[in-house]
Amino acid sequence: MSDNAAVTGAQLILDILTDEGVEVVFGYPGGAIMPLYDALYTHPIEHILTRHEQGAAFAAGGYARSTGRVGVCMATSGPGATNLVTGLLDAYMDSIPIVAITGQVRTTLMGTDGFQEADVTSIMGGVTKRAVCVRDVADLERTIRAAFRVARGPRPGPVLVDVPNDIFKAMCKPMNPLPARAGSDAIATRDDASIEAALDLLAAAKRPLVLVGGGARSANAIHLYREFVAMCGVPHAATINGLGASLPDDPSYLGMLGMHGRKCANLAVSEADVIFALGMRFDDRVTGRPDRFARNAKIVHADIDRSELGKIVPIEIALHGDLRATLGRLVRAAARRTLPSFAKWTSDAAHLADNGPSGNALPVDRTPHGELSATSVLDAFFAHAPEDTIVTTDVGQHQMWAAQRQRATHPRDFLTSAGLGSMGFGLPAAIGAQAAHRERTVVAIVGDGGFQMSLPELATLKRANLSVKILLIDNQRLGMVRQWQELFFEGRYSHTDLSDNPDFAIIASAYGIAAERVEDASDLPGAFDRWLRAKGPALLHCACYASENVWPLIPPGANVPETMEGAPEREPAIA
Amino acid sequence: MNVTTELHDWRILERIVGLTSRHGCRYTALDVRADADRYHASIDFDGPPEALRRLSAQLTRLLADDKEMSL
Repeated sequence: MSDNAAVTGAQLILDILTDEGVEVVFGYPGGAIMPLYDALYTHPIEHILTRHEQGAAFAAGGYARSTGRVGVCMATSGPGATNLVTGLLDAYMDSIPIVAITGQVRTTLMGTDGFQEADVTSIMGGVTKRAVCVRDVADLERTIRAAFRVARGPRPGPVLVDVPNDIFKAMCKPMNPLPARAGSDAIATRDDASIEAALDLLAAAKRPLVLVGGGARSANAIHLYREFVAMCGVPHAATINGLGASLPDDPSYLGMLGMHGRKCANLAVSEADVIFALGMRFDDRVTGRPDRFARNAKIVHADIDRSELGKIVPIEIALHGDLRATLGRLVRAAARRTLPSFAKWTSDAAHLADNGPSGNALPVDRTPHGELSATSVLDAFFAHAPEDTIVTTDVGQHQMWAAQRQRATHPRDFLTSAGLGSMGFGLPAAIGAQAAHRERTVVAIVGDGGFQMSLPELATLKRANLSVKILLIDNQRLGMVRQWQELFFEGRYSHTDLSDNPDFAIIASAYGIAAERVEDASDLPGAFDRWLRAKGPALLHCACYASENVWPLIPPGANVPETMEGAPEREPAIA
Repeated sequence: MNVTTELHDWRILERIVGLTSRHGCRYTALDVRADADRYHASIDFDGPPEALRRLSAQLTRLLADDKEMSL
């Protein structure tokens, strides 16, 4: 970008990507986007060829989630673009920065229902922060630059730029780089009165609680978050996107909130009289019925997005702005005060569930005939995994079991499709994370349902020589749906039986990926060692008991008092 | 509920109409005027209070994204 000699639109895009710090992109070529791929042929940016465009979007998301940088994916027009939809919506729901570039039919063909033509910007309007079609090459640089700026925030998210074939080929002169964007600190709260009012609430509280969500990750505010909860001496809990913000061994950390959260964390919400909700959005999987959520608490809500403040639950004080700046102000203001000790409440909160059926432990089902249990596999895995392992999950029971047991020390080390809950996420997200962190152990924990939605990406792994380790929890069921059928649909197991699954080890082997199958818990330690030490990608296929459930469970529409810790006893079936 | 705003991308209107329908609301008055590089919009919405509250939050996010893209 140092000189302004005329270049093609395609070349300009790649030069801007380089200037924006992009080192790797994920994509799949096709007709309309061929000029961009032609420019990529000799360009230093690494391109990882996924085997489905959805994999490219998820991989870009995994890259972005694990780094905080913008993930980039690209696809051709029509079906290529529409295959990005789920991955972009996943990023939109979890506020993950992605720039997607799609080819479009040439401008003279647009509107004729041409081959592989789709009204992509309309389709993408509801799944991105912005979706823009560039119809004049003179607008290309400004649009791509704006896409990166908007993807980064203040609240991160996906942006799509749709580029007609002729715009890729048109000649243009690059402008000088646009001024660097204003940092998100620019919209940090300036409201000192609200900061002081929030701390007044804390000082007057008897049972304060801090909740953290994915906003702390997005704002790179983890160190300030830890400093704040430590200096206040209050118990704290996390949403699934906030896991890793608190250190797992911190005695004042109560665990994950919500439907499958730790019971003491959910009970603490009910008991609390003041809640600081930091970078979270009160998803229904966290609140249950909002009108019964934290009924005894005054809520201080800090978020970058004004539209989230008071959207779901009533709040007492809104702290609008960049969370890192907000936490910095809270820490500085708190340091000027002498806060009361909350030590007894903090200790009590950790034991709120002690009198329940399972006490403070995670309730688990026993397998009736010594079958391998998924929870024992995951317990053993998290005991074996290297400390700095990046874990991705797919969606379903294994996701919740993993979230309950993970030991991440940073939210960028536990990556999951939280808001959208999209099956097929785990493996391509791991590909994205491994592409960004070649030297670290990256493990994709997947179920047999979601794994089969992402099988083509085994070829991506092999081609790119990425050492992703796949831990397949195979219970031959769409387990979470099966669990709900058992509990809420009178055992009518409609279309959740996957007992005719293929032999996954053979499939992996066919892609040239090492694979091992385990059916007995006593074989797990050795299998974990071989699997984790394998050079290159490897699959550990765990054949698990089919009917194990995720506990605890707050049923949909219910709240903490209705928490289930096991299946209710049923009348024996009449033969 | 009235929303008076500047639209930097007039296609946002399409999203506003879609979201209004999704929330079970309707618009009772719609006035959009083109300026040099932006549009001035004033829209009156009608609907159940809770639906309007949720629609308002969605529109706040949508319009913030529109503003970001124009900077």
